[in-house]
Amino acid sequence: MQADQAPDADAGKEARDTRILYIDYSKCIGCETCEAVCKFLYARPRIVLVRTVGGEMLPLYCRHCESPHCSKVCKNRALSIDGQGAVILDPMQCRGCETRNCILGCPYGGILASDEGVGVSKCDLCAGRRKSGELPACVEMCPCGAIHYIERERIPEIQTEESRQAEERVLAHLRPKKA
Amino acid sequence: MSTQSTPPPAPAAPHAPSPAGHGPSRMNFAFFRSDIAPAVGRNIGIIGAGPSGLAAAGYLAVNGYQVEVYDKLPKAGGLMVFGIPGSRIPQERILRGVTMLERVYGVVFHTRTKVCCSVPLHEEEGDHFSFEMVSMAELIEHHDAIMICTGSWKSRKLGIPGENLPGVYSSLEFLFPIRAVQYAAAGVTLPPVAGKRLIVIGAGHSAVDVAHSAKKLGAAEVTVVYRRTAAEAPCGTFEVGRMEECGCCWREKRTPLRILGETAVEGLEVKNADGSIEVLPVDAVVTAIGEVPTPPFARELGLENVRRGEVRWLNMTALENVFVAGDVLTGPSKIGHAVYSGLRAAKSLSHWLDLKAQHRESEYDSAADTVPRPTARTMHGR
Repeated sequence: MQADQAPDADAGKEARDTRILYIDYSKCIGCETCEAVCKFLYARPRIVLVRTVGGEMLPLYCRHCESPHCSKVCKNRALSIDGQGAVILDPMQCRGCETRNCILGCPYGGILASDEGVGVSKCDLCAGRRKSGELPACVEMCPCGAIHYIERERIPEIQTEESRQAEERVLAHLRPKKA
Repeated sequence: MSTQSTPPPAPAAPHAPSPAGHGPSRMNFAFFRSDIAPAVGRNIGIIGAGPSGLAAAGYLAVNGYQVEVYDKLPKAGGLMVFGIPGSRIPQERILRGVTMLERVYGVVFHTRTKVCCSVPLHEEEGDHFSFEMVSMAELIEHHDAIMICTGSWKSRKLGIPGENLPGVYSSLEFLFPIRAVQYAAAGVTLPPVAGKRLIVIGAGHSAVDVAHSAKKLGAAEVTVVYRRTAAEAPCGTFEVGRMEECGCCWREKRTPLRILGETAVEGLEVKNADGSIEVLPVDAVVTAIGEVPTPPFARELGLENVRRGEVRWLNMTALENVFVAGDVLTGPSKIGHAVYSGLRAAKSLSHWLDLKAQHRESEYDSAADTVPRPTARTMHGR
């Protein structure tokens, strides 16, 4: 009986899935498994490790912002938000413009230059896998449990002092203070 | 709808959320698809249950292969479980993933089983756990194809006098027992460093792990000696800073010359940047300068030739139906590289067997199966 109720409760909650990625950088050990599985599935990884000035290896990833800069600066309107709130790149609309404004516009380094196709690639939260009810591959394979798949509004609940500090180190690396 | 009598076992539910409810509580090595493909009627043997072996096992099992995994240790997981401290990788996360492979995908694990090779047993860390011995010939007979994912289990030597004194450990000799001691086997004891002065040589992530572990084991003094500067240290300045915060002493630009002592370690003689010689008093030394791969039958498999080229490798070895993946070929790398290599080799293995079943071996595109060696990477631009 109880077993019957549990899926119903879940079904109600998941009427509209709004989960996105959140990486707890303080738990990440820089092992590159996320990048590896992404590369295996999509040839060009959409989550890429960066070595910060302090020597920490940490993955850069798309935060699927609610009001994404990349989308605002794209003149071709190639970046849009799908039903789950994921920011999706449409290569047909993109046509590989050379301004690469989206790359410049993203504060998180979440849009990646590529030498194939339209010249940019980004995370779509494994759109094809989501359709068949699967989780993004990096979430499935992270050995440390550092990659969370969670509703945007619940992210503050799982943030810690360490994770915030680690995030700040990454952002400071991406946008160094001017001397 | 389908609330029949048998509820799925706890770790079995493919998308079981973690207690906190924002991600799975285990690694899903069979992440490639959620529905198991129909059985293909082929049986694959995988030697080594580390990241590359488990990734290959997951890929093949979910694609309909019967997979059997052999490992010398009492648990699957390889260095993810037995090398890297639990504070970095939660062991349960790996082991739940292994249970899922067993229960949902029918992967058979033969633990404490060593596939014999040319070198004598007990030469590598972890060999004393093996109860069973299997020969490579038996495996080839029994399986449609073999994948070797045995990793890098032999520590590199400094090549300086005094290295064989009691009290000198390699990073693996030091870290392995800390995790392995819970599976009580004769000959596995915690490194006795409580109250002692310890020097770690090297500045990679193993050196960092050794330094922190030694502190936890109660070492009186932990000094990290590195021949270059913190800015050049593979572990990075952040980790160097953290070691210092934890009370470790960082000594850079010092090249070890000799380990002094008659019957036990008494000192480490180092050369400073200005050429002067210094003796650091010490009771135990841990060399954390890397490992070398330990492939069974390296010569027969033609691995030396492949490795000497050092640019690309074929996943299939000189022996037909025998594939190889992970650190065993590349030398120590990262979990991610091992996972990628395991996945690529597994894909290549299934392509090969598909073609072979139709007698079209000549069409096997070995070039498509080559994987570029990990190279120095820069930000963006890829």
